[in-house]
Order: sequence, then structure tokens, then C-alpha cells
Amino acid sequence: MVELVPTLLRQELARLAEDDLRLDGRKQWEGREVTLETDCLYNAEGSAKVVMGGTIVYAGVKFELRTPWPDRPAQGSLMCGAELRPVAHRKYEPGPPSPQSIELGRVVDRGIRESGCIDMESLCIVPGEKVWGVMIDIHVLSDGGNIFDACGLAAIAALRTATVPAERFDVGEDYTLKVKGTPIMASFTRVGGRYIYDPSEEEELGGDERIHITLGDEGHLHSLQKGLRGVFTPAEFAEIFEVAHHRCTELRTLVANQEGN
Amino acid sequence: MGGYGDVKLLREDGLRLDGRKIDEMRPVKIEAGVLPAADGSAMVTHGLNVAVAAVYGPMEAHPRKIQRQDRAVIDVRYNMAPFSTSDRIRPGYNRRSREISKVTAEALESVVLVERYPRSKIRVEIEILAAEAGTRCAGLTAAAVALADAGIPMRDLIVGVASGKVEGIVVLDLDKAEDNYGQADLPVGILPNTGEIAFLQMDGDLSPDEYNLAMEYNFKAAAEIHEIMVDALKRRYEGGEN
Repeated sequence: MVELVPTLLRQELARLAEDDLRLDGRKQWEGREVTLETDCLYNAEGSAKVVMGGTIVYAGVKFELRTPWPDRPAQGSLMCGAELRPVAHRKYEPGPPSPQSIELGRVVDRGIRESGCIDMESLCIVPGEKVWGVMIDIHVLSDGGNIFDACGLAAIAALRTATVPAERFDVGEDYTLKVKGTPIMASFTRVGGRYIYDPSEEEELGGDERIHITLGDEGHLHSLQKGLRGVFTPAEFAEIFEVAHHRCTELRTLVANQEGN
Repeated sequence: MGGYGDVKLLREDGLRLDGRKIDEMRPVKIEAGVLPAADGSAMVTHGLNVAVAAVYGPMEAHPRKIQRQDRAVIDVRYNMAPFSTSDRIRPGYNRRSREISKVTAEALESVVLVERYPRSKIRVEIEILAAEAGTRCAGLTAAAVALADAGIPMRDLIVGVASGKVEGIVVLDLDKAEDNYGQADLPVGILPNTGEIAFLQMDGDLSPDEYNLAMEYNFKAAAEIHEIMVDALKRRYEGGEN
């Protein structure tokens, strides 16, 4: 593909960056408005819908009974996957999971898993025989930029509203899945030479490398990922880490408020 | 179809398990223009089913071997989200979704003025977010509204509706239990203005009279859904909340 538009876009983004401006009028560390809806899908045991600007993402939680891994007989399992289907943007093609969708799913998965918000032993029913497998599936319906943060938010919000369908599997009564903590992701992209928070579609198209930071309730790091071509300095990281801390706290409050309703 | 079983699907008072009358449709809600990234889109909530359709194009048809010199091809993908059903579905295509995609594409190609866009492709993506019987119909309805929302010329809309048979009685719009344990299912795609049929499938057991009655119910429901479709498109283009 001829990269004419990105070249012009890059020039425009660089010009705006000189005056500390962004294409849509936001400040450098300002995010778009986020709306979160939970319990919105009938057949999912937990679900969430996130809208961030032109980005729309659904996440659904399903459970299955399985035999535990031999080396962890008393632990259940958690799996998080993302699908970047052609519905989400004209740039996505049909076919087997693309490297981008695998990266997306795995980065979200690590943030949730490593935060320890799910106690794997609480998912054990009969040690060595029967445990719960928890599956979070993320479905991107519209990619308007920064799908990573939208997916991370939808995944944890869906998980936090999940009900374990024990009755349907004949292993006791249904109960609310215990989730301690709300790991939240914050993503940054280099646009016009400097980092910005929550890139839009145009900023991703005309930008460079991106950094994803997932923070737990205590502000600890649970997953990091640098994607695309480009480098950054420790000083740059220190600055966005500080921003990530604030933005994650705000989104964690949003999740808590949604649950309070 | 499960055939005659032990499961009671009609109540003593003649109503169905969810309280509907024999010829009563589940509630339908439609919204056009729901996906910002798409050229056209729609969300259809039909009972507990949720179907979303996105349209991209017309665009250059790739690979070239799919191109038609005299018209556009419509490339439909019907896909159920892993969390859309009671048991999780493994992501990816299966025989059922391929077949539904194929017949849906052929139905849409019979209403879209495809001859206006030779050598091009119109992509229609149907995603089922919640499935409770009737997703191919909800998906077809959503696709028709999304095509109209994308401004693609069509000679009519298509309405997806189904009737079927439970306990020997013809009923409109089967729900999950009726679909699993009923005796017949007749999903169709109706052109509401011309009264033609662009989509037709059926399985189970229907007598000719039962077929006629089921089709009568389908046409009645199609008229109702058509109003909701038109209303959704009007709301979208009268500068409403979208």
C-alpha cells in the first residue's frame, strides 16, 4: 500500500505536537470519555461493553469444567483471548487469528492473571479431578483507536460481574466469582515525537511505537508491553508511568461505580 | 428438530411457555449506525438474540478471481461470538456458519443493486453476541438495515423471520426451547414491499397446510419488523441522537 496518507498525517501530527496539541483537541495525557456497561449479554456468565470514542468492545465470560493440569492438581485456569474480526475495521481480514489479535489477548491476559485477582485454588472443585476453567473472550466490534485499554477494561469488568454457573454443571449452587482487585491498562503511543495517552485511530495510523502498562490496585506493575518499531528512554517511561497511575485510578473508580449501581 | 418429546411447550391455557400467543413475535428493537468504524451498521435485538451487522464498501474486490465483470459481489460472514451461547463456542468458522453466510449473501445479492458496482465487493459482517434461536433471521435483518445505513442502493429491504411447529401447532418465532424440542422451523427473508422471498430454509416436518399457515405468520411478522427497520433508519437520518 502506498503510505501517502500516513506521511501527510505524520507531518500534521508532528506540527500539532510542537504546540502541544492533538488532532481531536485533547491534551497530551487526556483520555476520551469512557462508558462502561455490565451484564449486557444474556448467555455470558459475566459481560461488559466499553465505548471509548469510536472504539466499541464487548467481553464475555464463560466457564467450563475440566481436569486440572497434572502439575497443579488443585488449581483452576484462566484464559483470555481477543478476536480482531473483520467487523471491527476495514483493515482487518478474515482468517486465522492474526499476530495483532494474539498479542492483544495475551497482554490483557497477563495483566489480569499476574495481578492475582483470581485465586486459582478457589476454582478447584475436586483436586486432581475437576476444576473450573474461566474463559474471557473479547470481541472488538469497532476499532477507533486504543483497543488495548478498551479490551483490558471490558475484560476485568466482565470478570468482576461473573457468576459461576455451578447449577448448570451440577456441582452445587451458583455463586459470584470472587475477584480481588481491578487491574487496569493504560496505553501510550508516540505521536509527533512525544508520547500521548489513549491514541485515536488517526494517531495510531500516523504514530510510532506504543507502550501498554497494567497496574493493580496498589499501583504495582502487572504487565508491560512495547509494540511496534521504535525506542524510548527511561525518562520517558518514568513520565508515562506517572500518568498511567492517575488514569488507572480513574478507570478503577469507573468500574467500582458501575458495580455500585 | 428434536421431534415429539417429553418437553411441554404449550401451557394448559394455550399460551406458550414464555406467555406468548401462538402468532405472537418476541419484542424487536433495531438501531442503525451503531459502529463508528463501519460504513454502515445496525444492531438488532430480537427477544434475547443480539445481532450486529457492519458493512464495508463497495471496495475493490480481492482476490481478483472473485471479481464479477458485471456486478458487485457481496461477501458475508456470519459469526457467533464465543460467549453467545450457553456452552462456549470455539472461535472460528464452522460448517453451520459457512452455510448461513452463503445463503445470506445470496439473499442480499438479490436486493442490492449489485450491477451498479461492477468488479467490486461489499463486505457484510454479522456478529451474533447473544443467541437464543433465530440468529440467522436477526442477522439478516441487521444486514439489510446496515446496507441501507451505508447508503447502498437496494430495491427493497429484507426482513428475517421464522415460524415453526411445536406440539403439532404452528407458531410464530420459535424461542430456544421451541427450537430445540419443536417439530419444524421455517426461517425466511421477506422483501416487505414486493412480497417476494429472498431467503428460505426449513427443517422438520410440515404439512402443506401447516407450511401455508407458517408463511402467513411470517408475512404478518415481516410487516411489523419492517416498520421497526424503517423507524430505525429514519431516526438515524433525521439527525437524532446518533
